[in-house]
Amino acid sequence: MPFTDEEILETVRMIELETLDIRTTTLGISLFDCADPDLESSAEKVYAKIVHHAKDLVRIADSIAADYGVPIVNKRIAVTPISMVAAASGSHDLVPFARAMDAAAKEVGVDFIGGFSAYVHKGFTRSDDALFDSIPAALAETDRVCASVSLATSRAGINMDAVARFSDVILDTAARTAADGGLGCAKLVCFSNPVEDNPFVAGAHIGPGEGETVLNVGVSGPGVVRSALARLGPDADLLAVAETIKRTAFKITRMGELVGREAAKRLGTAFGIVDVSLAPTPAIGDSVADILELIGVDRTGAPGTTAALALLTDAVKKGGAMASSSVGGLSGAFIPVSEDQGMIDAVRLGALSLAKLEAMTAVCSVGLDMIAVPGDTPAATLTGMIADELAIGMVNHKTTAVRVIPVPGKGAGETVEWGGLLGTAIVQDPGKFSCAVLHRRGGRIPAPIQSYRN
Amino acid sequence: MPRRFITAEDVRRSGGEIVVDAETVVTPQALEAAAAAGVAIRQAGGQPYAEPVPDRGPDAALATSHLPHLPEPNSDLSGMTGVVVTVVGRNRPGVLAEITTTLAGANADVRDISQRTLPDYFHLVLTVALQSGSEFESFKQCMECMGGQDDYVVRVMHERVFRFMHRI
Repeated sequence: MPFTDEEILETVRMIELETLDIRTTTLGISLFDCADPDLESSAEKVYAKIVHHAKDLVRIADSIAADYGVPIVNKRIAVTPISMVAAASGSHDLVPFARAMDAAAKEVGVDFIGGFSAYVHKGFTRSDDALFDSIPAALAETDRVCASVSLATSRAGINMDAVARFSDVILDTAARTAADGGLGCAKLVCFSNPVEDNPFVAGAHIGPGEGETVLNVGVSGPGVVRSALARLGPDADLLAVAETIKRTAFKITRMGELVGREAAKRLGTAFGIVDVSLAPTPAIGDSVADILELIGVDRTGAPGTTAALALLTDAVKKGGAMASSSVGGLSGAFIPVSEDQGMIDAVRLGALSLAKLEAMTAVCSVGLDMIAVPGDTPAATLTGMIADELAIGMVNHKTTAVRVIPVPGKGAGETVEWGGLLGTAIVQDPGKFSCAVLHRRGGRIPAPIQSYRN
Repeated sequence: MPRRFITAEDVRRSGGEIVVDAETVVTPQALEAAAAAGVAIRQAGGQPYAEPVPDRGPDAALATSHLPHLPEPNSDLSGMTGVVVTVVGRNRPGVLAEITTTLAGANADVRDISQRTLPDYFHLVLTVALQSGSEFESFKQCMECMGGQDDYVVRVMHERVFRFMHRI
């Protein structure tokens, strides 16, 4: 059946005017076979294996973008959590692994590589311990390596000893990258219920349940949803809003499905998942906040924002689930504050507080993301922020994350420019009341009961 | 089980020659160390080491047989490559002739065409079929360098994009 003009022009408009793109094609590479009792040999293997498998990734992604006319913005790599690979070496300094990953990423031309990671939601192995100690130096020394840790799951509870240690890791990383506004922390995230096939940084890694190599795709398209809602107008009821978002998400996801299948075929690897996430960028119009405002709140953060976000996230998932049988990753709506011009404006106007952001994360796909706090925020306060967010994920059986950046030398209300995709942040005030006792107690918050769900 | 990697440490421990399996990856550091120490790295058949084709793992082998069986929206252009060409720009006599002449030169068969004009502007949508074996990339380049900033802009996209987005 031939396409109608409307169909053809709709697709062209999405790409040309509404910034529809494939946000990332991420090649997952298992590094389990790189374990070696000798630290240097292990790091050598890590470098060699990543380059061996990913050397054609950028060329192939570019060729697909050219053939299909759909931009593929980022090419990335996700690897097995390094603490698992490094265990055999017995080393306490795991920075050589980060150097090997960084060098490999630069060699093959990808913009980020994720997987300097550890799963510590129940406890620490010696290798996890070494990884935590190595994160600040690794992130300060490398450009493209991203670190992530699992601190909680719905089955294990929250490892509060790990949360407290992670707060120190954040502060140390910020201090070591103070000249860049604490930018190292933008490459560092902690999770409750992490997904093993996340293609988006900073949390990208390939969990132990994944295969040898796998190609995952992250689609984006807040601009497309925003335009569709703008055309729908303010008089349509919310069922019509949900339906419009769902239909748009379907079309966006189909692009991800096509690119994922084709990229996997050309690379000769398995196609993993499409992550259907509305991922904003600082570009005008490419904003999740704008969508929420079109649904019907004056400014993001106003009463009604959480409800609007719940509608948006659910409709995106439903459209995505219809469009692909391989929907995975985080899939929903991202609300990285500094990367979304609408969110930045909302913070500047005093509409969007940290408390409201926390509430919003209960119904969207990630968590407190790209949030700047004062450089002198105490570790205990960070622990409290992280524990609150992880508790939302733990109790609701969903993934939540925290990527918070204490900006050295800046206080609440000041602006920090990170530039590029990371955008601009206004330092937000976590409040003057502390949770020092909770921070000091340590131990574990037990997992929530799995039955009696009423 | 074949050796997955040869590292610089393996080279230092070797007795002057290393025989690798077909799948073995020799790290760049090992190659350097071998060159410096005069250690020969060769394959079982005697040929010098060459980086193997990446072994993407057991899933990849399965995927190559499974992927073609994933259903996808039907195309009615069996054996040919469908391409959608859109042209937008200032209207003037001869625009359509220019486009179709270039298409004919590329041996592209026009299957569907529609043109709308506003007083000064036009947009043209063509669905064309390329003979199998003809290069999509060179066709795209040839079409997209037509027109100009104050004239018209040509955009070429694979028809599969539209099939995925608008057909189930």
